[in-house]
Amino acid sequence: MKQYIFLMYNFNMKIQTTIKNLNNYKIYLQVERTVHEFMNKNNYLKVDLPVLSPALIPESYLEIFETKFNYLDKKEKLYLTPSPEIFLKRLLVTGVGNCYYLGRAYRNSEPNSDWHSPEFTMLEFYKLGIDYLEMADEVLKLLQYIKIENKKLKISFKKWEKMSVAQAFLKFTKINEEELFDEKLFFNKAKEKGYNIEKTTYEDLFSQILATEIEPKLGISGYPTLLYNYPKQMASLAKLNEDGRTAQRCEFYINGLEIGGFCTELNDYNEQEKRFISESEKRKKNKMIDHTIDKSFIKALKYGLPFCTGAGIGFERLVMIFANVTSIDKLKLINIID
Amino acid sequence: MRINAGNLKKGEFVTFQGAICQVQKADFYSPGKGSALMKARLKNLITAKNVEYAYKSNEQVEVLDVTSVDMQYIYKDQENLYFMDERTFNQSALPISVVGDISRFFKEGEKMFVYMYNDKPLTIRPPMSVRLKIVEADDAAKGDTVSGAKKPVKVETGATVMVPIFVKVGETISINPETGEYTGRV
Repeated sequence: MKQYIFLMYNFNMKIQTTIKNLNNYKIYLQVERTVHEFMNKNNYLKVDLPVLSPALIPESYLEIFETKFNYLDKKEKLYLTPSPEIFLKRLLVTGVGNCYYLGRAYRNSEPNSDWHSPEFTMLEFYKLGIDYLEMADEVLKLLQYIKIENKKLKISFKKWEKMSVAQAFLKFTKINEEELFDEKLFFNKAKEKGYNIEKTTYEDLFSQILATEIEPKLGISGYPTLLYNYPKQMASLAKLNEDGRTAQRCEFYINGLEIGGFCTELNDYNEQEKRFISESEKRKKNKMIDHTIDKSFIKALKYGLPFCTGAGIGFERLVMIFANVTSIDKLKLINIID
Repeated sequence: MRINAGNLKKGEFVTFQGAICQVQKADFYSPGKGSALMKARLKNLITAKNVEYAYKSNEQVEVLDVTSVDMQYIYKDQENLYFMDERTFNQSALPISVVGDISRFFKEGEKMFVYMYNDKPLTIRPPMSVRLKIVEADDAAKGDTVSGAKKPVKVETGATVMVPIFVKVGETISINPETGEYTGRV
């Protein structure tokens, strides 16, 4: 209770009602309906999922919300899910087939900003038998399917502006392929550019340079930009390419903002288990919330995740494009503000 | 004072690549993989140019300890706005490009706060509201009852403002100088 009061004091969060956002909210509803329609037409099963879970997948870059279920003298810790992946992958193992979730996800330590809210809506879907580049076609089909009357919309979804991560670095930062994939050369180049390279990692510097020098220039020339083939350090749960240094991962951008991403799912459970351990060690080291680890997730993966690609789209960010607004809060009738 | 970049706020002053800059916008951004970032738009107070930079949110940033001094706006020329410290009679010049669009609402003789760092003026602290007299306006069309209908009027500094149609020449109105919006009659 004390901590609660302390937080309230710090942030002074308030409930804000904004009825003038009604038109934007109606666009939100329209996009939502269209997405359900697209998924239904293309034989994806809609899955409703819990948002409270007794265990989670350890992720070192996501902080979570923790709560407690109480009954008489019994107690159990529960966590708000930061992504539906933990449930959807289980279902894929059981042979559910193509499926999707459109609903809430929760991330702690991500304060409100134009593009973030600790409580947000996520569209996550999986398609069997296709890789990440084939998924790019599928995502484009989805974007084309959302037809919202908006004369101010300056973007066409006829095609992708495709760019590999290496091409984007060369074009916008003058960091060449050799420098990008060699950690030592990359650090030197970053230092030359004036970035603070002390106490930092390749992953952090990569994100920082991408966000500063590349992202603002993506998806601004009339088409959405598809960035593909991330360095293997940024692979996350993606399969590696045969070149041994890039992963089958894509992200797409509109108006300089990352809207979503997808990757060919890693189905090697040994690799997954290794990642589980290293991520949970990183969580401990960074003094993040010590949550129960979902060990049966690894068991399920051992049983066998089919060859598939999963896509995740920040739903509010997607609607922002169609509603022509520059921040998430403008889509909502009720916002929790700080 | 050193702070985490994740706590940077609009209006604060920092040194970026050797130049003093004012934070125009600072937004939390998490790429999902890699640490969280603070995307900032920084205005260089010499060149008046904006630069976008993503700080790591746990990176230490030195926020400059500036003071704000009560001054009188005295006049402007093609490039600069001139202010006078009423206690010392020292004059300070600030480039119009640095102060920005807001200067179109400044009336000679008005008191304003100027941010100083090491005795050098950086920029002004925007007033919450300014009061200006309307010098030019069309008469409102009679019978126009559309609520919220607006018309452009010229205020004494020469700037144009959109006001409700019932507002007349000679009246004094209050304006939010940052947005240029009419906020009421005074």
